Amino acid sequence: MGGEMGKIFTLVEHRRGQIHDISFELLTKGRDLAAQLNSEVVALVLGHGTEEVVERVKGEAHQVLWVKGESLKEPNAEAYQIVLSHILKEYNPFLTLIGHTALGMDLAPPLAASLDIPLATDCVGIELEDKRVITIRQPYNGKLNARVSFADAPAFMITLRQGSFPSEEGNLTGKVVDIPSPLEKEPDYRRFVEYIEAAVGEVDITQADVIIAVGRGIKEKENLALLEDLADSLGGVLACSRPIVDEGWLSKDRQVGSSGKTVKPKLYMAIGISGAFQHITGMKNADTIVAINKDPNAPIFNVAHYGIVDDLFKVVPVLKKKILELKG
Amino acid sequence: MDIVVCIKRVPETAEAEIKVDSSGKDILKERLTFDINESDNYALEEAILLKEKRGGTVTLISVGPPECEDTIRMGLAKGADQAIRVSNEGFGELDGFATAEILKNTIQDLSYDLILTGCMATDDGYSQVGPTLAELLGIPHAVLVTKVDLQDGNARVERELEGGLLEALEIKLPALFAIQTGINEPRYASLIAIRRAAAKEIKVLNAQAIGLERPTLRTRVENLFPPPVGKRAEILKGGAEETSKRLAQIYKSKGII
Amino acid sequence: MDFDLTTDQRMLQKMVREIATKELEPVASEIDQSGEFPWENIKKLAKQGLLGVIVPEKYGGAGFDFISLAIAIEEISKVCATTGVIVAVNNSLAAYPIYQFGNEEQRKKWLPLLASGEKLGAIAITEPNAGSDVASMETTARLEGDYWVLNGTKRFITNGGEAGIYVVFAYTNKELQHRGISAFIVERETPGFSLGKHEDLMGIRATANCELIFEDAKIPKDNLLGEEGQGFKICMHTLDVSRIDIGAQAVGLAQGALDAAISYAKERKAFGKPLSEFEMIQSMIAEMATQIQAARLLVYYAAYCKDKGMSRFSKEASMGKWFASEAAVNATKMAVQIYGGYGYTKDYPVERFYRDAKIMELYEGTSEIQKIVIARSLLK
Ligand SMILES: Cc1cc2nc3c(=O)[nH]c(=O)nc-3n(C[C@H](O)[C@H](O)[C@H](O)COP(=O)(O)OP(=O)(O)OC[C@H]3O[C@@H](n4cnc5c(N)ncnc54)[C@H](O)[C@@H]3O)c2cc1C
Ligand SMILES: Cc1cc2nc3c(=O)[nH]c(=O)nc-3n(C[C@H](O)[C@H](O)[C@H](O)COP(=O)(O)OP(=O)(O)OC[C@H]3O[C@@H](n4cnc5c(N)ncnc54)[C@H](O)[C@@H]3O)c2cc1C
Repeated sequence: MGGEMGKIFTLVEHRRGQIHDISFELLTKGRDLAAQLNSEVVALVLGHGTEEVVERVKGEAHQVLWVKGESLKEPNAEAYQIVLSHILKEYNPFLTLIGHTALGMDLAPPLAASLDIPLATDCVGIELEDKRVITIRQPYNGKLNARVSFADAPAFMITLRQGSFPSEEGNLTGKVVDIPSPLEKEPDYRRFVEYIEAAVGEVDITQADVIIAVGRGIKEKENLALLEDLADSLGGVLACSRPIVDEGWLSKDRQVGSSGKTVKPKLYMAIGISGAFQHITGMKNADTIVAINKDPNAPIFNVAHYGIVDDLFKVVPVLKKKILELKG
Repeated sequence: MDIVVCIKRVPETAEAEIKVDSSGKDILKERLTFDINESDNYALEEAILLKEKRGGTVTLISVGPPECEDTIRMGLAKGADQAIRVSNEGFGELDGFATAEILKNTIQDLSYDLILTGCMATDDGYSQVGPTLAELLGIPHAVLVTKVDLQDGNARVERELEGGLLEALEIKLPALFAIQTGINEPRYASLIAIRRAAAKEIKVLNAQAIGLERPTLRTRVENLFPPPVGKRAEILKGGAEETSKRLAQIYKSKGII
Repeated sequence: MDFDLTTDQRMLQKMVREIATKELEPVASEIDQSGEFPWENIKKLAKQGLLGVIVPEKYGGAGFDFISLAIAIEEISKVCATTGVIVAVNNSLAAYPIYQFGNEEQRKKWLPLLASGEKLGAIAITEPNAGSDVASMETTARLEGDYWVLNGTKRFITNGGEAGIYVVFAYTNKELQHRGISAFIVERETPGFSLGKHEDLMGIRATANCELIFEDAKIPKDNLLGEEGQGFKICMHTLDVSRIDIGAQAVGLAQGALDAAISYAKERKAFGKPLSEFEMIQSMIAEMATQIQAARLLVYYAAYCKDKGMSRFSKEASMGKWFASEAAVNATKMAVQIYGGYGYTKDYPVERFYRDAKIMELYEGTSEIQKIVIARSLLK
């Protein structure tokens, strides 16, 4: 084992100059764990033109390992893997934290496999029981929690679910260490070509004060009309969960969630939406969240402020009537 | 173009009540219905579409008990050519890595240009099997793939990032793609195809046959428990009339209407 | 003895269930209210081969057995009894008699059209003055050169308004009584054949139920099905087969009602607890479930008899059809009861289920006729 054992490494995720929120959640959790272990947290920054990123995370970690290179311009899981496995082999951190994001899902599994270390993905909690690491996961789309332990190993990797850990400002003065990139050019077996921006739709749901979001519970496209009526009565716009877009019932720009939009309206109504975390990520900061779902155990009720456990087809028409009555 | 598709049979739990069994580590499955994992179904469809366009074969692989043969057969009926079930008997508990290891041992002797998996299983939610398998086989990969264009020896794929942003990548074949939902419109099998598929043989391999007596178990579920009821929603009581009335009043008091 | 479905039956069940819940259920209430024939549904089912379930592959069908057909009808009828009967008629009342009694040319000509759904099938037995008493029909056919010339009116014909191929029964020789009835394959485009009144039905409202009018309609000689005078036998044998499917339709509908009632009883509360905790509600659920299971076993058994090649299974088919149709009426009635006032509104499917159920005690032989068939076979 290398001398650095015991440290917590966290990957700083950034794209096009923007640091991903998860990075700060990882760093915050990393500091917390490091404190428990009497250890240090190290931030990993890979990329090209990342001066500002490094500047921004310096205060969040005891150390910043900085790998620069044009070949790392866009986050590419295969390129990252080459660099990270090189670094992790050398430094042997006790724990490596990566976001369970589009990048993390692409990167962490092969990276852990190449290092021969255990990986727990999409964790919402990490506990240390005398150096034994226990993670909390949410199988069955959040309907249950699971306590997951690791097999004995010198090091572990965990991907963390976005929004499950607080993000606090750090007050460290991380030492920035330049690490020469072991990568000369982007691997030829996986090359970045371009970004494709989300199509711009007719309405911008991120600007709406009131959002009526519908999920698979509406059963069929024709029922959208019912919800549109409700949205009209509230002066709101229609949005949806992913399956509604997958079915082609609403366009992609109406999708709320990690692979859709993040919204923060005054009122968010989740109707027939179970509350998978990928959805919740996109709406949990709304001022008032109301859920209508016939399943009393649907995870959406854990983020909603008000809930109605009932058949949406029964409630929605009545609700519209009541709203119109109150509006006079 | 020879394509391998890994599929998993999972319980449908979105609308069902789920209960933990007496071991505390698994759920009671008796009353649940099972089906192919959602994103695996899209992966299967994508493989069939690619085959229809470019010829070649589609081979299905599933690790699981005999019951998952119906799921496999439905894949054959939709257009896959052959199938392998790796019996999970004797393997005991499996995690994402162990499953990938089993698949690796099964696939390494096959000839393939492309491997497709789903991007996440709706039961365990690991999102780990596909990319781990790629690593174990030493081939490139991409996850959350929403478009596949095959060229000679190469694929141009699009994958989903956050917030509706996509990235296009060029990846050398053979490669593995973990497919995201919505990439296509999965078909239903036709009756004739069902009848043919029902009679087809599914190759069953066991631990010995794939040369892996004990898959490496790197994580273990200690116990399952209901999510803590933190800040739960205030559930409005009564029938539709009462709940609606109450909600409308709340809206009014909050100045929403 | 083995109660398990075979692999292909299980797969068929799963596929049909999926297509029924994803494609048919969403529009079931709409087609009930509009009464418009659900061509979209039929096209989707045709694509999967469901219009020719029992038609052998060499005639363009899927080549499944009758248990499979019953399972398919059951799954469809669970969500939409209208679509269920349309498919049942095409399979067992149009394609089946042509397969069973047609010559090779007729099979080759007509079955692929029916099995692919290119043309929809119907059967025309009933007349304004001949229902239960089939032999009192008045439609006649006389041979003129290369044509049979048909005259008469058929009533209540399911798929009538939309079909392309009709199996029509008519007297070719009134003197021979029921031995003078013959069966014909009639195309929609036949000169002298027109559609009459469209029925406004209580249930199964989108089945294009229509009157057929034959005024010197000229049917090519080759379209005589079976032999001259064989019509009554063809009719009775065909009804034996189709009663299996009406039984299956009833089982499916009843199951749909039970499923709905169970989930409603668990959700709806009264006097501080879910309805499902009241013993009287439990009693209804138990009764529904038991009758449905009994009905299903009777229906599958009749299909099994047919699949085994037994020459007579009238009694079994009638038992299944009678029992299942009464179980469906009872189950849908109870489902409405469990739903209370909501069950009487169009907001819930049980209202439609209740209306749809009644026809099952009437068509393809009323319950009384089924009992006559059963008793006759026991007392002969
Ligand atoms: C990488 C990745 C990214 C993703 N990104 C997103 C994303 O951006 N946004 C997103 O939404 N999802 C996303 N998903 C998908 C996500 O995991 C869930 O599958 C999805 O959110 C589920 O949508 P749903 O709640 O509408 O459907 P379901 O989970 O099927 O839930 C339907 C709900 O409707 C209820 N219901 C049914 N009928 C009625 C009725 N009559 N009355 C009342 N309630 C009823 C049910 O009880 C159930 O709770 C992503 C997944 C992955 C793997
Ligand atoms: C929606 C619908 C769809 C139909 N589809 C078709 C179709 O596709 N093709 C087709 O040919 N026909 C079809 N029919 C006709 C149907 O088969 C007849 O309505 C049925 O056979 C009963 O005939 P009927 O209406 O003339 O009643 P009747 O024969 O007049 O009977 C009236 C009542 O008397 C009872 N009864 C009659 N005889 C006896 C007896 N001997 N002993 C005791 N009771 C007796 C009957 O059970 C019934 O209760 C359809 C009918 C409907 C309503």
